[in-house]
Amino acid sequence: MNKQTITQYYRNNRKAIVTASSGLLYGGGWSLGHLTSFDAASAGILILAAIIGGYDIAKTAYYEVTNRTLGIKTLVTLAAIGAIVIGEYWEAAAVVFLFSLGSYLEGRTMRKTRTALQELLEMTPDTATVHRDGELQEVPARDVEEGEVVVVKPGGKIPVDGTVIDGESAVNQAPVTGESAPVHKADGDDVYAGTVNQEGALEIQTTGAGSDTTLERIIRRVERAQEAQSPTESLIDRFTKYYTPAVIVLAIGAYVVTQNAILSLTLLVIGCPGALVIGPPVSIVSAIGNAARSGVLMKGGEHLERAGKIDLVAFDKTGTLTKGETTVADIEGIGVADDEVLSLAATAEKKSEHHLADAIVDAAREQPTAATDGGTTAPLADGTDAGRQSVPDPDDFDVVAGKGVIAHANGHEIVVGNRALLADCDIDVPSRIADYVRERERHGETVVYVALDGDIIGAIALRDGLRESAPGVVAALQNAGIETVMLTGDNERTAAAVAEEVGIDEYRAELLPEDKQTVIEAYQADGHVVAMVGDGINDAPSLATADIGIAMGAAGTDTAIEAADMALMADDLEHIPYAVTLSKATRWNVLENVGLAVLTVTILLAGVLTSYVTLAAGMLVHEASVLAVILNGMRLLRY
Amino acid sequence: MAVPVLRRTVMNETTQFRVLDFDCPTCASTVERALSNVDGVQDVEVHYATGRVEIEYDDDVADPDAFARAIENQGYTPQAT
Repeated sequence: MNKQTITQYYRNNRKAIVTASSGLLYGGGWSLGHLTSFDAASAGILILAAIIGGYDIAKTAYYEVTNRTLGIKTLVTLAAIGAIVIGEYWEAAAVVFLFSLGSYLEGRTMRKTRTALQELLEMTPDTATVHRDGELQEVPARDVEEGEVVVVKPGGKIPVDGTVIDGESAVNQAPVTGESAPVHKADGDDVYAGTVNQEGALEIQTTGAGSDTTLERIIRRVERAQEAQSPTESLIDRFTKYYTPAVIVLAIGAYVVTQNAILSLTLLVIGCPGALVIGPPVSIVSAIGNAARSGVLMKGGEHLERAGKIDLVAFDKTGTLTKGETTVADIEGIGVADDEVLSLAATAEKKSEHHLADAIVDAAREQPTAATDGGTTAPLADGTDAGRQSVPDPDDFDVVAGKGVIAHANGHEIVVGNRALLADCDIDVPSRIADYVRERERHGETVVYVALDGDIIGAIALRDGLRESAPGVVAALQNAGIETVMLTGDNERTAAAVAEEVGIDEYRAELLPEDKQTVIEAYQADGHVVAMVGDGINDAPSLATADIGIAMGAAGTDTAIEAADMALMADDLEHIPYAVTLSKATRWNVLENVGLAVLTVTILLAGVLTSYVTLAAGMLVHEASVLAVILNGMRLLRY
Repeated sequence: MAVPVLRRTVMNETTQFRVLDFDCPTCASTVERALSNVDGVQDVEVHYATGRVEIEYDDDVADPDAFARAIENQGYTPQAT
């Protein structure tokens, strides 16, 4: 080993070396004093132990004092100097050694919390294979430019954010979204840096590289969230501003009254609210870090502490409990062929942007070609797939919000919508259609009526399949003692059928968007702490009204994250029970840490004032309590 | 349409470090004070729980090497991120 490596080794392990030397000297000095009569030598060695162990502490204490902050290192330095002055060398060395050992262990354990997110970043590969200057080049991933095409082999990690332009594969997105199952990716699909290409080779056009990737953005957000003070932390911060000076005043007062120097020095040592200050941030940083690894982004300690009180979770139906992929399930014509009903409805709905309209128009385009007189076999000029039916444009159309559309085509009036719209237009429903509608709605389908020139010609039943995870998620929340509610604009019967299929406790049907907020407010007025789950874009107002807004599918859009208190990176419900129970565990963990800290200080104070606890013992218990709250908080990393 | 070019007289740079061995919350605040005393530093954020140090400084005045030294002088190990 040359001099340089020794210096380097010392620099990297300074704290451990200092602590160990101080400990050895302390042990030596103590033995010498107790086993032999070399008292002067013993005192000398103990003072040396205090100086070696205390040099760094005193240096920081000096900075604390010059910066007019009052920290534990100042108190420890004062106590050690005081103990030497009154001839209690053993106490001085013990306090310094125990404090060094405690800080060394605290630093070591906190390192684990601080590197939890780092591991996520290491998911991104350092290099990328990119098409450049007519050949494939291996370049640092950070240097890939937007628009460049990156090639990822099967089994390789994706180095950039981008869009698949060639190839097909299953991609494990767990590092970004927390989804356990791989996601199928083909032309036009977005992929994220840090995810793993499992099957086929992919060519990816870069949309972001280096620090401009979804993963990096998430991690930056998560760190800001970890650093934001929770209400408990701010409370403790305000409290300690007065607490520490009060302890010093108490120590001086105690000396004036009792003339007992050891007693007042001990008060200084135990007076620092270490565990109280350190506990809550460790709990919150660990919980937010853990959540991030499962693709759940918590906005901050404040949100997390509030989420710990959730006792009711409201779900939006469409796109949240269901997949949001509505398809035509069945058509019933009355006096008119089924496909004629569909074609007319599609014409009326063609320009509407409602998701039911999209499903009807898509179904009309997919019809067998020979069946109708409304379409032609020629591919559409606007680029629709060859072989699909064209859907003629209406001459005019009006959207009636929350009800349907009224359109005109070839001199005929077409009305497509729900019962409310028929009532508005004075159209009667034949009993055969009414029976049909009841039957389909009982199966959880949404039915729209189609009327031509004032007479019902049929109805179209549409279905939006449940997410596979929905029943399990609802059951898990119920097991955790949380009420579940479904909010939907659908009619009563459809809502009842879906609610039963999911197993949800309650449902509220026929809600207009703004009604959802009113329903949430009513639950809050009943004393519930309400979480609302939605897509974060259409549901932004209800997410904001709820105590905790939970947005899904946030990896794709920043808007979803803005509106929410908690965001699920994956477009799935899977992690909601985990997020809710983690929040509850965190809230308890913070309370445990505060309780432990307060209890320790109370017992120590009582012990000191009754002279049962002296300097070294006080230090030992104090440091042990700090380590205990750190370790307790870190349990949340493995929740 | 021509886009007007805005020129700022002072361009502030931002740099980050990570300190994994903070052992008490007050230590983070002393490092924060020490860094804000370095020439040219405009703004400093030091977070105990995450160990993240963010420094905003005036490129013309500040010597970025001085940041790491200031952290080391307080007894902590800065890592570049």
